[in-house]
Amino acid sequence: MKQFILFTIKTIIIILLLAVLLDYAYTTVYAHSNNRNKIEDVYNSKNRNYDVVILGSSRANNHFVSEMFEQKGLKTFNYGISGGHLFEADLLLKLMMERHYKIKTVILEADLNLSNEKRSETVAANFLPYIHRSEIIKEHFSKEPDFNSLYYIPFYRYVNFDELIGFREFYKTLSNQSTNVLDKGGFHALKQNKKGRMKNDISTLKPLKNKYYEDIKAICVANKINFIAVMTPMCENTKGIDYFEKVKKAYPEIHNYEKVVTADKYFSSCGHMNANGAKIFTARILQDFFSN
Amino acid sequence: MFFNSLTFAIFLPIVFVLYWFVFNKNKTTQNTLLIIASYYFYSCWDWRFLFLLVFSTFLDYYTGIRIEKSQKESGRKFWFWLSIGVNLGFLGMFKYYNFFTTSFAELANGFGLKTSPFLLDVVLPVGISFYTFHGLSYVIDIYYKRIKAEYNFVDYSLFVSYFPLLVAGPIERATHLLPEIKEKRSFNFEQAKAGIYQMLWGLVKKVVIADTCATYANAIFDHYPSMNSGSLILGAVYFAFQIYGDFSGYSDMALGMSKLFGLELLRNFNYPYFSRDIAEFWRRWHISLSSWFRDYLYIPLGGSKGGMWMKIRNTFIIFLVSGFWHGANWTYVVWGFINALYFLPLLLRKSNRNNIDTVVLDKSWNSVKVVANILLTFALSCLAWVFFRASTITDAFLYLKKMFTNGVFASQYLANERYNYELLLMLLAFVAVEWNHRTKEEPISGKYQTVKLALCLTSIIALGTYSDYKEFIYFQF
Repeated sequence: MKQFILFTIKTIIIILLLAVLLDYAYTTVYAHSNNRNKIEDVYNSKNRNYDVVILGSSRANNHFVSEMFEQKGLKTFNYGISGGHLFEADLLLKLMMERHYKIKTVILEADLNLSNEKRSETVAANFLPYIHRSEIIKEHFSKEPDFNSLYYIPFYRYVNFDELIGFREFYKTLSNQSTNVLDKGGFHALKQNKKGRMKNDISTLKPLKNKYYEDIKAICVANKINFIAVMTPMCENTKGIDYFEKVKKAYPEIHNYEKVVTADKYFSSCGHMNANGAKIFTARILQDFFSN
Repeated sequence: MFFNSLTFAIFLPIVFVLYWFVFNKNKTTQNTLLIIASYYFYSCWDWRFLFLLVFSTFLDYYTGIRIEKSQKESGRKFWFWLSIGVNLGFLGMFKYYNFFTTSFAELANGFGLKTSPFLLDVVLPVGISFYTFHGLSYVIDIYYKRIKAEYNFVDYSLFVSYFPLLVAGPIERATHLLPEIKEKRSFNFEQAKAGIYQMLWGLVKKVVIADTCATYANAIFDHYPSMNSGSLILGAVYFAFQIYGDFSGYSDMALGMSKLFGLELLRNFNYPYFSRDIAEFWRRWHISLSSWFRDYLYIPLGGSKGGMWMKIRNTFIIFLVSGFWHGANWTYVVWGFINALYFLPLLLRKSNRNNIDTVVLDKSWNSVKVVANILLTFALSCLAWVFFRASTITDAFLYLKKMFTNGVFASQYLANERYNYELLLMLLAFVAVEWNHRTKEEPISGKYQTVKLALCLTSIIALGTYSDYKEFIYFQF
């Protein structure tokens, strides 16, 4: 039995050593990459100047055409992330401040994402490689129920989110395979849906007094950033469309653009406009806020 | 509680420590602990089905004794058929009732008769096919006087409910496991180390090979109408590796952890994809089930003693029953039927026992022929797996039709945001490792074992699929 105990201890030591080594290797690779997603792009940058930064979910990513802002002479980047919640938008802005970004205006897409304060499992994972290297990220995750496992167990975060930051992503990052998410100023255009009439049901959603929204607002005030919060369009056939009115009641400062584009031909899915819809919507935003 | 879960990683060491340090006084205390652990393990799925397991155990224990004690043949027969009837009755009710009822209703509807079948709203108790077969083999062996009835209820209960094999086998025999259970086990370092190695290799097969292949195979099978020929071929290959890694990985973990308790279970897989013909494949795949059907169905039906027609009839019967054992769906029956068809030429040429030695390659032309036969057998098994994996027989035929008629072999982007060929390199490495160690149960032991252990652990940690968790396929059977 003594032999077996020694064998078990040896095996456990090998596991721990491997976990530490792999953790170091993965973290190092991610810490030197800036061409695969918006989070590592921000993490690995410093002192950028923007006239406009756009934050939010896919409803920001697919709706704000950065090039149209640029044509107006506004240095703009769309940091909207598909699948992202306000948890990540808030952290991304904090990270920008930590990286000494100078931003004049933040446009935040704040509508459906106000209805929850949870992190997005698919997006939040991309911050985790840097959890030991950024106090901001550590602090932001510190109230999450799995913080201790993510922070203290070496390599756990890469195992737990292997589909997002595991071996496959590590290999692609290591071999410098870039993605197109940073092209076109971060805007991702969607194609028109040819399947016919679209619909959506948001009747179960309720806007919350969202702490991450409040946090973003507070950061903007503290850093003298002009803050514009907007609700973006939904297709006509949406059940529970009064949600947007509820948001307006809870947050009178959020501009309601839900009805600016409604025809199905401008949508790819009910919650996401196609490229033509995005152009109409962006033109209206530019006209209302940046016409001077 | 799955073998590759965190809860099991806590459960197993606790049982191990209690087994060797607290309950190590004699075999009764050891067996009692293993029963408690097994019942706890089983109740983690659904505690209500524990009553079914206990009832099944008690039934076979009692009828086994009554068969042995009966003076008259009629009494022996009564207790024997009671046990068989109740065991198969439970299996039929939980696993096949709804299937037969709906199939009958569909047939009746086909003839214009409107029926509204009464369906049972029950979940299939996990492992029922496995522990029922344990009990059946025990009672049949007593009836045919191959073994004596077991009078020690604790020992018998452990034989039926031993947790490493409870939910997905291997299907043990009383002649093999009961004698081991009846002895006090002493700790053996080499056996325990071999057990750890086998468990780890099983884990590699499950989380690195099976679950990764599943990600690709699912993306292809679930969207087969939009896939090209190349992708559909790869889909079948990925599923072949998925089911092999999943089931043989589970078996390796069961055998390995059993060695930690000083018990050796029957080997269930012996590198089946290195088989040179389909008969050899079935001597190497799910060995405990194949041999069960051979001993308790094929031989009682007359086996190969009769003429050629009897051999063919019996072969088709065991393959069809084997297919049906896997699940209540016609796809499994067709899968069994296809394997019987594959077997037929070997039977007619009386060459089904040609390849019983280990594959050895040299620089002769014969080796080329051997490799070609291995590849052909693998290809045939992949085609059959399409029926095993598809939701319906129609889906399976359409999948195969598209595979042969589409004719496009370009790398295709899958619905899960992956390209189709990414996995092949890893599978080739896996095959190379298995090939080089095909005379052993696992590849870690032997020379440079610490290095191999480290590599194995690295692959589990770094290459395993964890977030897209998949249950063991055979748990549903």
